[in-house]
Amino acid sequence: MSSDQTAPMTRSSSPSEAKGFWSEAWRRFRGRKLSMAALGFVLFLVLVATFAPAIAGTKPVVCKYKGTIYFPCLSYFDRSLEPVIFAKDRFRGTYPANLAEKDPESWAIWPLVFQDPYRSVRDNEWPGEPANPARDQGKPSRRNLFGTDQYGVDVFAKMVHGTTVALLVGFVSMGLAGTIGITVGATAGYFGGWVDMLASRLIEVVMCIPTLVLILALVAFVDQPSIWKTMAIIGLTGWTGIARLARAEFLRLRSSEFVMAARAAGAGPVRIMLRHILPNALAPVLVPITFGIASAILIESSLSFLGFGPPPPSVSWGSLLNDARSNLQMWWLVVFPGVAIFLTVLSYNLVGEGLQEATDPRLREARK
Amino acid sequence: MLLLVLTGCGDDPDALEEMTPESALGSQNAAPLERLLEPFDPPPLEELSQGATWIDRPVLDAVVSLREEQAAEPQLATPEEALALINDSVEANAKILSALGRVADEGQADLSASVNRHIPADVGSTNPILISSTAEFDVLGLTGFGLFSFDRRMEPFALADAVVSWQTSADGLLDKVVLRDDLVWSDGEPITAHDVSFTFQVIMDPRVPVPAVRSGTDQLKWVHAYDDQTLVFFHKQPFATNVWNINFPVLPKHVYEATWEDDPTLKDSSAHVKLEQQPVSGGPYEIVERTRGQQIVLRRRESWHTVNGEQVRDQPFFEEIRFRIIEDPNTSLLALKAGEIDEMILLPEQWTTQTVGDDFYERNTKATSLEWVSFHFGWNVSTPYFSDRRVRRAMSYAFDHERMLEKLCYGLYEPATGVFHKTSWMATRKKLEPYRQDLDAAENLLDEAGWIDHDNDGIRDKEINGRFVPFEFSILTSNQPLRVAICTLLQESLDRIGVRVNVRPVESTVLQQFTLEHKFEAYFGGWGTGTDPDTSENIWRTGAGRNFVNYSNPEVDQLYDEGRRELDRAKRAEKYSRIQEILYDDQPYTWLYWRNSFYGFSKDVRGYVFSPRGPYNYSPGFSSLWKPVQQ
Repeated sequence: MSSDQTAPMTRSSSPSEAKGFWSEAWRRFRGRKLSMAALGFVLFLVLVATFAPAIAGTKPVVCKYKGTIYFPCLSYFDRSLEPVIFAKDRFRGTYPANLAEKDPESWAIWPLVFQDPYRSVRDNEWPGEPANPARDQGKPSRRNLFGTDQYGVDVFAKMVHGTTVALLVGFVSMGLAGTIGITVGATAGYFGGWVDMLASRLIEVVMCIPTLVLILALVAFVDQPSIWKTMAIIGLTGWTGIARLARAEFLRLRSSEFVMAARAAGAGPVRIMLRHILPNALAPVLVPITFGIASAILIESSLSFLGFGPPPPSVSWGSLLNDARSNLQMWWLVVFPGVAIFLTVLSYNLVGEGLQEATDPRLREARK
Repeated sequence: MLLLVLTGCGDDPDALEEMTPESALGSQNAAPLERLLEPFDPPPLEELSQGATWIDRPVLDAVVSLREEQAAEPQLATPEEALALINDSVEANAKILSALGRVADEGQADLSASVNRHIPADVGSTNPILISSTAEFDVLGLTGFGLFSFDRRMEPFALADAVVSWQTSADGLLDKVVLRDDLVWSDGEPITAHDVSFTFQVIMDPRVPVPAVRSGTDQLKWVHAYDDQTLVFFHKQPFATNVWNINFPVLPKHVYEATWEDDPTLKDSSAHVKLEQQPVSGGPYEIVERTRGQQIVLRRRESWHTVNGEQVRDQPFFEEIRFRIIEDPNTSLLALKAGEIDEMILLPEQWTTQTVGDDFYERNTKATSLEWVSFHFGWNVSTPYFSDRRVRRAMSYAFDHERMLEKLCYGLYEPATGVFHKTSWMATRKKLEPYRQDLDAAENLLDEAGWIDHDNDGIRDKEINGRFVPFEFSILTSNQPLRVAICTLLQESLDRIGVRVNVRPVESTVLQQFTLEHKFEAYFGGWGTGTDPDTSENIWRTGAGRNFVNYSNPEVDQLYDEGRRELDRAKRAEKYSRIQEILYDDQPYTWLYWRNSFYGFSKDVRGYVFSPRGPYNYSPGFSSLWKPVQQ
């Protein structure tokens, strides 16, 4: 991604062409098989994250208990969503035996894989199944598809539930970075002069801050570390590239004819920036955002690997790698999360590249 | 010399220095010019000797006594057999310890051998009175000069290498020591009784930031040198613990006399910076090289064993001891397997899964033994959650002890029930049952204590000062995988009965600060053992420095007072047994497990003998290790 993209584009698009530009870009993007496959993989991850409790869990997806329908699996998203009746009836988190025992009439639909991301499955918890193997005995098997970690927690369940963190980190932190970057860049580029001067210096100052070191320092100070704070820090430090590109685009477009026309028609600066310039400036800005998502995922994984990830028991792929560090003979703790991180980051990069080629006319022409 | 500091311990060797000894608090909190020492004019020696009856106390050569003791023990295997063993059973471990844990007989040891020791952290200071971490104890135990020590049963004695005689007056208020006259510092100056009395004055000066050594020493009234060899310790009270208070490291008076008044920190002035790098040694070894963060090299000191051309003491077994500083346990295990270090502490998972193959046994063997280091959840009794004893008991019932012992700790540890280990003399003879998970009992106790889910949100709550407080608290732990896993298991266990826990792994320094300031609801921690049960007083007495959980029970305070005054061991044991029983009933801690010591040793090394304080933290400790003459 080049940040010195200052040369004016040869085919500047006018407002009436904007819609055509995007469908054109989408057509070109579709033509790139690798990028499409990558996009498919990202969508697949979104599905996995959304349906994680139905894929792996120890709580029924749906169950009927004492005449009422419940969705206990939702408590994986938020613990307060767990129906209180199960606590009152002293279920203590163990559903299969308790459901049958306390209400013989009850029925339940179970997740595809009966394994919990936060704890090891106990002996006979699922009728007839033994407890998970612990220590370094948990090789991948029929019951534990990706094996178990040294404490007997299923790696597959951890990875499925860790997908949420991996995706959220990317979207939330880059959403934040995109918002800040575009706002700062747009203001700087549109107004120019001393505003531009100030904003550019600010960008340069923030660029000098090494993100990882800052995060490590903050983690030591913050009272209650959480994944949201990590995302916030990644977002708050990662907007500079976006801001520079946005600034360049706004600088270029503010003197174009359609902007002048809008100004002549009496539109205010905010309206011009949002309605007229932004849609035309978005394409080059989206590219660094996509790459940013990939690097945010990497940063989160590195943090978890270093032991500064989200506090337990939340799971992330990086923390699995951290477990592997002291148990190198348990190869499944390295391979599965490692491959998952690699594929995800690769996918985002491929999507980003596809987007870049589909929207950047210079690259298109260079190919001819 | 080893001091009587109760070290907080971890699963990781480096966590051993986690807890600050109490005197550190003393020096931080004390007003800068508070006087620690009342002036005292010691009476002439004749006057002392007239009134007093003196009782002789033991003066021993630690290595020789150990050798004599071991001669009486049956040897279960030959060294060759033991080296071929795989340590996977109690029998194999006993054989390895019995065969390889013998101190060298005459001529057996290769006196030109060198050994590479592993320490997980660099030493903060090489000044003997500034020590506080285990690494510093390890290094200064070999380079420092002291008069007293204690054996593997924690019986105190005076060191024959330094002392001619040691006597205690019948009233328990005086200790008289006569030093040997053939002791010299590494710079050639003689070591005299004046060095000891000078060091006492320095330790007790409030301007000197002494982290660990002052606790105990502050119980002395005065230390006086009557001549170069004769030394008398004056006690404030005739306590059973006096015997520990006279044991402190010694500074060379001729070196520090001129410099310490100008720079009481003993660190900042240029003279002290130089001494820090090149300390004057009084022990059998001296520091010849120190690379910060990497290694410390000690060499055997000629002037220790040979004075005026005559050998006056046995030579220590190693010519050179190299302390290799490796923080990461995985890296140090690789170093052990590659033969770069000769010994290290093993973590439970290393013991169970990473030291079982030929890659380990090719160069090394391993041994384990009981160590009196216990771990616990501490409940801050001044919080609304844990002020009620029933709640604390409910916590102990709710936790899945079995799972922790079997799965998280690899079945290597035994459950703990209280402050003293059952094999120690002060432990209660009553059988205290270890808690087992009983969720019904836990829920009933919580119901009784008023923690009921009133608002139907799945979390128990209780009305306190007109507001419903949900039972949700944080548990602090240092950021090590096993500790976090144990806390996460507590979270899982309590989640099942409607109590929410947030696990907060923090840096060990942060944990230390929060616990000292009582700013926590619960924490996970551990304690090693002191040499005397009285050292646990500062954990349980009302308002004591390491009473992190704010426990307060007048009966316990009273019993500690009585235990200190009582000189008869059987009667003392009763007092401490009672304390243990009271604490078991009150459960200010949920005691979890006793952590054994696990060590990997190079096959070249012999002579490791384990005590309840591990293989090194007693006398002879590391001094009994040796390497055989190569055939």
